Amino acid sequence: MSDYLLKAEDINAKYGDFQAVQGASFDIKKGEIISVIGTNGAGKSTLMKAIVGIMKPSGGKVYYKGEDITGIPTHKLVEMGLIAVPEGGRVFPRMSVLDNLIMGSYTPKARKERNQALERVYELFPILKEKANQAAGSLSGGQRQMVAIGRALMSEPELVCFDEISLGLAPTVIKDIYATIRQINKEGLTVILVEQDVKRSLKISDRSYVMLKGKIVLEGNSQELTEDEVKKAYFGL
Amino acid sequence: MDALIQSLIQGVLLGGLYAAIGIGMSLIFGIVKLTNLAHGDFLVLGSYISLVVTSTLGISPFLSLIIVVPVMFCIGFVVQNTMLNKVLSKGAEPTLMITFGLSIVIQNLLLYFFTADARNLHSSITLKSITISDGIRIPVIYLISCVVGVVVILILGAYFKKTYQGKAIMAAADDLEVAQLMGVNIKNIYGLAMGISIATAAIAGVMVGMIYNFYPTSGSSYLVIAFAVVVIGGMGSTYGTLVAGLLFGLAQVLGAHFFGAQAQLLTGYIVLLVMLIFRPQGLFSK
Amino acid sequence: MKTNLLSGRSTILKFIALIIVIVALFSVPSWGSQYTVMFFMLVCMYIGLGQMWNLLAGYAGLVSLGQQIYIGIGGYALAVLSNYYGVPLFLGLIIGGLVAMLISVGLSYLLLRMKGMYFAVATWITAEALIVIFAGWNYVGSGNGMFIKAVRGMPTSTIYYYSLVVAIITVIIVVFLLRSKLGLGLIAIRDNDSAAETSGVNIFKTKLYCMMISSFLTSVIGGLFYMSQVWVQPYAAFAINWTIAGMFIVVIGGIGTVSGPILGAIIYVFLNQYLSQFGGISMIILGIIAILVILFASKGILGTIQDKFGFEILSARRHSDRTFTGKPIEELEGSNL
Repeated sequence: MSDYLLKAEDINAKYGDFQAVQGASFDIKKGEIISVIGTNGAGKSTLMKAIVGIMKPSGGKVYYKGEDITGIPTHKLVEMGLIAVPEGGRVFPRMSVLDNLIMGSYTPKARKERNQALERVYELFPILKEKANQAAGSLSGGQRQMVAIGRALMSEPELVCFDEISLGLAPTVIKDIYATIRQINKEGLTVILVEQDVKRSLKISDRSYVMLKGKIVLEGNSQELTEDEVKKAYFGL
Repeated sequence: MDALIQSLIQGVLLGGLYAAIGIGMSLIFGIVKLTNLAHGDFLVLGSYISLVVTSTLGISPFLSLIIVVPVMFCIGFVVQNTMLNKVLSKGAEPTLMITFGLSIVIQNLLLYFFTADARNLHSSITLKSITISDGIRIPVIYLISCVVGVVVILILGAYFKKTYQGKAIMAAADDLEVAQLMGVNIKNIYGLAMGISIATAAIAGVMVGMIYNFYPTSGSSYLVIAFAVVVIGGMGSTYGTLVAGLLFGLAQVLGAHFFGAQAQLLTGYIVLLVMLIFRPQGLFSK
Repeated sequence: MKTNLLSGRSTILKFIALIIVIVALFSVPSWGSQYTVMFFMLVCMYIGLGQMWNLLAGYAGLVSLGQQIYIGIGGYALAVLSNYYGVPLFLGLIIGGLVAMLISVGLSYLLLRMKGMYFAVATWITAEALIVIFAGWNYVGSGNGMFIKAVRGMPTSTIYYYSLVVAIITVIIVVFLLRSKLGLGLIAIRDNDSAAETSGVNIFKTKLYCMMISSFLTSVIGGLFYMSQVWVQPYAAFAINWTIAGMFIVVIGGIGTVSGPILGAIIYVFLNQYLSQFGGISMIILGIIAILVILFASKGILGTIQDKFGFEILSARRHSDRTFTGKPIEELEGSNL
């Protein structure tokens, strides 16, 4: 049990009468990268919302460091080192880049480390230092994604969920961002990637889960899974 | 000529007060995205609470703020958390209706306890004025209320820019879910914003009470001023509110100067309507 | 959809019940006391007021805070026309309605491009401006207002019959309007403005028609109300209380339903009459009731019952699959973290 950093058991999640996630289970060890792959509407984002406390699961349990965190509000989870990067580089558009990053260090624990964390984010994304005083809404898609990632890193996290990080970005930008993720993973961060892009996810992650219609339909070592196999599960063929 | 200068000065000074009247409304619209139709009534409630405090404790209206502001903050916090938060996801009508309901309840409660008689918070300072020349005199209380209004706005501006809590409120206004993801406890953030909004209204209420008479039904005229300031300044813009207060104060006073006292209200309405029709996003937004 | 108006046994039964109710309503003056007739008269007026506010806010997405504009215009038109020009009262009501309609067209061109709260504020401010104008206008008696001399001696039952007819007309109009092409457009607009636009619904025209219909009938109701009051006065005629009443009626009964405002109007008039014995606190209680209903039965009394038992008395609604947040399911799932 305790060798898993996070373990989700039989998660159910509903919107009204619509069951978006039906009994999904997955786990992740410290230092791992896993990917949760699925089409738009497969329920993977809802699953992540249930994990990070944005919505309450209607069934199932989530354990983090061996502790039951089911239904614990998001702000407590952030303090425990679990944070999510929302899709599409969702920044606070009217706030400056710097203020966006500062919002990442909102928890009391992170506030103390703020200056070091900021230096580190600027090292990872030098462009953000240049644009520190610009409104985040005025940045390009890739730069906004950097703000979103940097902001999450400011919280001194142990586990980061990246939601659809490559959505709508140019291939070269995606490549850079994936390189960054690999780098921060090497520095000790545990990573959950929620993706639609089969090839890329398999390449970067240690293990993969494929979701379809609210269920996990395939899981395995990313090296051992073939692209064909995953695509079949992905489309439900 | 002196009369015109006198009007201009008065208009400018009114501007600070108007900004204080509108800032809370602007805040709530920008952050919670709701229109508080009881904003004016909360302001007048502040005047009455100050009246009670000053008459029972025998202190000056300024000192009464020490009690009035926290009390009104709590009222705002509770109203938001127990009522408005519950219906936010259901569209504009329920929040409009609830604030409307609050407006009726507050007005009639005041009517019940204080009757329809005119009240005021006049004190020795109310009648003092600074003489600049024969025809030009600045009432001290106008000057003070203007300064108070400007100070309120500056403090709020610094609060949003410099403190974590203020930034969290701004972040929640931009994207509630992401703010939540960053560790902001959003359950209380709207309550906090409403508390601040109502507290600023109460400060304005005390100033207003020192200048004019007030009645249980005075709220709607202050709601109009608040609306005007919000619309001219642009929703949720702290400093825009200040300039908007100034412009609206000037417009009203000049309207009264050129077309007679009864035109003051109408000028205000017309300015507001013209703004709504041609520049609803406010004068200062792009 | 169009054909189910009179098909099916239950619909026929409903129709017969409706006819009986209407006949019973017309018989009220023959058995009821003066007070009863007045009570039913007020109910009829408020049904009309509620239906017309609902048409704007519940269906066209236009939360108006300015229905009192038309109430006041109706009252003043009647007073001016009958006092100064000797126009018969009935004709005065119609002309008043037309004047209101004309004003609503003008306002539509100015205000309809506004959205949400901007529209709400603009309509309210327009009414407030009218108070100032009418209170300073000698021709209409300034602040004192006007007596409508011609209604002196007119029995309450006559005004009641007029009001009943108007109430029935408002209900019929709303039912048929929503089943027409215009209604389809309205529902498209309410669900999604831009999608409706691209699918060929002329949003401006659709909203304009709603404004015109609503203003005409609201003005007639205003005229009728001031026929019964005899005295029209600016602060009361253009007071926002009119819209509050309309809103209360609709929200209590059920927004976006046809039968909701009928129930709402009965409750409102009853509460108003019953609570008036408590003097000052009656409005406090009314306000608290409104807040409680919105908090605990946000779809209104009928809306909540409909949800629980799945029936509708006067159906004019086209149902769509929506989740509790009002967004289509696919949209929710599509929006990620």
